[in-house]
Amino acid sequence: MPLCFGTDAVAFKQDCLVEEALPLLEFLQAHPGAPVNLFACTHLHSAVLQVLMALRPSIVALPGEAFLRRWLTPVFGPDAIVVPASPRAAL
Amino acid sequence: MNSPLLDRFVGEARDLVQGAAAALLALERQPGDEASINAVFRSVHTLKGSVGLFDFPAFTKLVHAGEDLLSAVRAGQVTLTPERVDRLLEAFDQVGRWIDEIDAGGALLDGAVGISRDLTMALRAMLPAQADPAGARAANPTADTAAATLTALDWLGGLPEADRLAALAAASNGREILAVEYVPATDCFFSGEDPLTLFRPLSSLCALVIDSTAAWPQSDALDPYQCILRFRIVTAAPRSEIESLFRYVIEQIKIAVITPNQLRAAVTAGSPGAGALPIASPVAAPSAMVIRIIEGQRTLLATARTATDRMDRLASVARIVSNLLTVADREADLTSWSDAMALARRDETGHPVVAWFDRWLESQATTASQTPAETPPSQGGPRPRIETADPEGRPDNRVSANRILKVDQAKVDSLMNLIGELVVSKNSLPFLAKRADEVHGSREMSREIKDVYAVIDRLAQEMQGAIMAIRMLPVSEVFERFPRLVRDVSRKLGKHIALVIEGEDTAADKNIIEVLGDPLLHIIRNAIDHGIEKPEDRAATGKAPEATVRVKAFQDGDQVVIDVSDDGRGIDPEKIKASALAKGIIDADRAARLSDQEAVNLVFYPGFSTAETVSDLSGRGVGMDVVVTTIERAGGTVAVTSRRGQGTTVRLSLPLSMAVTRVMTVEAGGGMLFGIPMDHIAETVRVRRDAVQRIKTSEVFVLRDSVVPLVRLDNLLGIDAPIWFGNGDDEEAVLVVHVGGNLIGLVVDHFREGMDIILKPLNGILAGVRGYIGTALLGDGRVLLVLNLKELF
Repeated sequence: MPLCFGTDAVAFKQDCLVEEALPLLEFLQAHPGAPVNLFACTHLHSAVLQVLMALRPSIVALPGEAFLRRWLTPVFGPDAIVVPASPRAAL
Repeated sequence: MNSPLLDRFVGEARDLVQGAAAALLALERQPGDEASINAVFRSVHTLKGSVGLFDFPAFTKLVHAGEDLLSAVRAGQVTLTPERVDRLLEAFDQVGRWIDEIDAGGALLDGAVGISRDLTMALRAMLPAQADPAGARAANPTADTAAATLTALDWLGGLPEADRLAALAAASNGREILAVEYVPATDCFFSGEDPLTLFRPLSSLCALVIDSTAAWPQSDALDPYQCILRFRIVTAAPRSEIESLFRYVIEQIKIAVITPNQLRAAVTAGSPGAGALPIASPVAAPSAMVIRIIEGQRTLLATARTATDRMDRLASVARIVSNLLTVADREADLTSWSDAMALARRDETGHPVVAWFDRWLESQATTASQTPAETPPSQGGPRPRIETADPEGRPDNRVSANRILKVDQAKVDSLMNLIGELVVSKNSLPFLAKRADEVHGSREMSREIKDVYAVIDRLAQEMQGAIMAIRMLPVSEVFERFPRLVRDVSRKLGKHIALVIEGEDTAADKNIIEVLGDPLLHIIRNAIDHGIEKPEDRAATGKAPEATVRVKAFQDGDQVVIDVSDDGRGIDPEKIKASALAKGIIDADRAARLSDQEAVNLVFYPGFSTAETVSDLSGRGVGMDVVVTTIERAGGTVAVTSRRGQGTTVRLSLPLSMAVTRVMTVEAGGGMLFGIPMDHIAETVRVRRDAVQRIKTSEVFVLRDSVVPLVRLDNLLGIDAPIWFGNGDDEEAVLVVHVGGNLIGLVVDHFREGMDIILKPLNGILAGVRGYIGTALLGDGRVLLVLNLKELF
């Protein structure tokens, strides 16, 4: 399971595929603004990205993976906090 | 519920598909006809553009595939074989059906994607073979994989500055910078696509902007499996790489070449103070004015007479040129200029500088002549360099061309109804004038009313004429379908047929035109199926192998006449008689007495069909009788003439307009008024009571040596006839009418005047009442019932 749902936060791991979009959406609908940690995420399916973009949860860490970090930084804005040292900090 | 935009699209798309099909057929007849190929290509291209506004991916893909094939035909890469025409027509038909579906429900029915895929594959298969058949659609820069051109580039201004600088840096290395917009299909997640991954393998990505095509929905309204993302990139990757990467979604991307100027403009517009960019662009040439000033400086220097003079001038020239080069952002030139200046100062001579001028001016002249388009004189707005025509294909000339207003037919119909009411109401004025005179005794008032009536009458008539003219449509509306029909049917039957259409400008009322379509289709099918022989049979009888079907329309008085003639085998009266006998339509006795023309007319009998085998084209048992019924319902007539071995002509005559019906009014049932359509009436006679004979229970009378049955209208309508006590000298008013080819005498109480009426069919709960065609309002407010004699007898 690439998505780790905590009580009120969610962490992404490895490749997040299209199946994750719906659970993520439901979680974020239940917990508006829940912190999301993307650090360990190596790929984000567009559908998952779309959910994140539409619901705008607080991103506590951008992905460590180079491509995603490079191009998701402008997407989630400069105020997205990058926590490179401790990927589990938010949980 | 359809949006107004969608409604307009439906109307426009119908026209486009029709135009494309017509042009395609014209093109097939005259291969290589530039005008036709352009017409069909333009129609399909425009259609693709307009459907792109809506979310019908299946529709768009199919149209796109059609356009690709047409574009290959236009480019001369493939020839237009009948098979290709078949495929294209098939696609047009499907598009037509989809337009109907969109019109009806605002969406395509289920299965559209599958249909689209099959047809698209069939069309793509018609494209010239690729070197690598497995990846026929892959990495191939020909027309079928070229992406559309991106025009909206204003988002470039919103790019982060670092990204734009990266792009500029790539541009300064002489690479072409492309802007790509990728809007994935909304259902792309279902087909396993992940748009974001497509960008990963890209060799150069200067900027990537991800946003949504519309405003983000509320969190509870978001459908996570419906893609609403939009990706925009700026890349230095070559176009072929992009097109190969996006080959499966090529119709969803748009590409534009952007010049460094656009990026630079975006940079300066986006962040003031960033104007002094560290990167010199090789493409941005100095403006003509800069060149002129530098030329002037050279002249100034070259014309100096003394050495002191030269050195004075050199100082000012140096300042001017270095300032100019700084302003024009020409760093490299500035360096070489300072080098030349340093040399000139050291040697106290102007030569190095003059030489620099010559070199510089020469290089400017060559760049200018090599790439005139690349060096716009000024840094204009951020307009993209558009490579092909306007991708939306919306020709602007529509505005300047003949202005045509597209109006819903229902609106015209309601206007006509109103005018009809006006005509009727105006007819009450003479009654009013009469009352003014007779009841109120004011002759003057009566005359004034009559004057006013004359004016209103004239205006009403003009209005009626005008509305009729609006409703007049050329018969070409119907004829347009025939080339296609003839082509399909003749291909199916292996017959060679040329269709000649004459008089397609002949106009008739819209209702008439609408009535004409199916009967004509049936007649033409009949002619091709039964009338025209196979090429070998034609050759045997010494006819040209190519048969001709001629459809000719013309106006004859107040009738529009349409002749459909063929040069086929004609109708064999003997065969008709035999067939009619076998089917029990006539008996042997009558068959023997029939003239050839009468025998031919037997084809109008219900259930008559002579084809030995039921083909899938015609001869489904519904024969000419359907044609006759339809045409007669519209007040027209059908006649067939045929000469054996030479062909058949079917003539349809219809009134130009059905709006106004001429009726004769009669009185029956003790003062009730009835209208009888004028075209039924043969004559009016008065018959003496004692001239009426009885044959069993029927009454007859003799009219010019022929026996005519006599029917009392009162009896027909179920009204008790008044008991007659008079003597034999009394006369009956008899209206002699044609009904179904027979003459019948209709006894009425009194004849009244004939009049033009606007017939209103019976509707609502009266719709089922038989015996009446409809009603009309009379000027004095009474309702006139118009009889349908066919139903009464």
